[in-house]
Amino acid sequence: MGAEMILPFVADRETEGFRRRGRAAAGLQSLRGLRPRPAPADGALSPLRRLEHRLARGERTGRLHTWTLVTHQVHPAFPTPYTLVVVQLDDAPDVRLMGRLDGAPELAEGQPMQVWFQTLEPGVVLPQWRVA
Amino acid sequence: MMMGLAMGAILSGQAKTVIAFRSLNGRSETRLGSGGKRAGHQEAGGGGTYDEYYVPYGLMTAGQTFALMTRRHMLEYGTTPAQLGAVAMTCREHANATPHAIMHDKAMSLDDYLASRMISTPLRLFDFCLESDGACAVVITSAERAKDLKKPPVLIRAVAGGEPQDHRAGMMFPVTTRHDMTELGGRKGGEVLWKRAGVGPQDMDIAQIYDCFTISVLLQLEAYGFCGKGEAGPFVESGAIRRGGSLPINTGGGHMSEAYVHGMNHIVQAVRQLRGEADMQIEGAELCLCTGGPLPVGSSVVFRRAA
Repeated sequence: MGAEMILPFVADRETEGFRRRGRAAAGLQSLRGLRPRPAPADGALSPLRRLEHRLARGERTGRLHTWTLVTHQVHPAFPTPYTLVVVQLDDAPDVRLMGRLDGAPELAEGQPMQVWFQTLEPGVVLPQWRVA
Repeated sequence: MMMGLAMGAILSGQAKTVIAFRSLNGRSETRLGSGGKRAGHQEAGGGGTYDEYYVPYGLMTAGQTFALMTRRHMLEYGTTPAQLGAVAMTCREHANATPHAIMHDKAMSLDDYLASRMISTPLRLFDFCLESDGACAVVITSAERAKDLKKPPVLIRAVAGGEPQDHRAGMMFPVTTRHDMTELGGRKGGEVLWKRAGVGPQDMDIAQIYDCFTISVLLQLEAYGFCGKGEAGPFVESGAIRRGGSLPINTGGGHMSEAYVHGMNHIVQAVRQLRGEADMQIEGAELCLCTGGPLPVGSSVVFRRAA
């Protein structure tokens, strides 16, 4: 990412609640406060909360669903080339999350992907993906 | 959608005559493919757009979004660049026969198409519509009132809109989380449209398909039932959508080669065709489908030549 950056708006009344309740399984990634942390007993959590905690621990793996290599730059925060990926979670195929890879890696449908966390600024974290 | 709103206002007695128009400085002001006037360190999203889940990753434009959809169509159905090119070339051929079209004087071969630079793979420059300045207006009134006017009227046979089975909140980018991201709201809207119109896709003489990108034409041909799911690539490659084919589309050059006026130039083109006034006139055309923007929902109208 270049010197400029685009941060997620984190005070939207509509999506704030999803983050607060950890509704990653709704197909919406948590953008703030989603950091590795001790796992509570999974049995004490709803399936949605378990999903969020697994994602936060970096355990979640997924498969590459689709991607595009962007070669036409539209914003200084995103110098080209970069690759946008859409990753489908292995254990929750209804959930797909965005990610960005630098450059133009060789990719294939169904390729295993691993989550990692990019801190944009203190308190603002993006779940990202790398080739597993 | 504007046709439906105007029709509803007239039928309910709220208006006698309505003008629907669109004016767009898509080139001289904000270039539509730029992702908006974003610069510097700033926030994206909010306001129910859900852009906050996409823009911070660098997903900023419609072209990038449709590129992700195109890749899925290629992976699932084997759609090829040459098939996308068939859409671009068809629109260009039709613009070449339309003097006011922006691309009137510029012929394009498949080699030209394939040689155009990549923007967001697998979409090339010529998979994108034009960024242009333009304006269009359509006057809608009752059929009774229209009988007395100088020009022959064109009748609105039916209008309908629809959303996909698993429609997501937000604007365009959440299409990437749909179960099937190559499925459009136009399918459900089309089912309603054909019932209301009392005709089907097989009855259309021509169609003006919202061509923001080549892939959007393929997806809508499938959604509105002109071919089966995944079959639009071979359908367009067969020449069906060209002049002389079973369903000539975008007969003024469309958004790809006439101008991009957010679907309104398609409405104007449909009226010209059904009045027999088009530059590239399709002889005997009586029924025409026009579709609106394919994301996040879809809308459409069937026009009929007046008896």
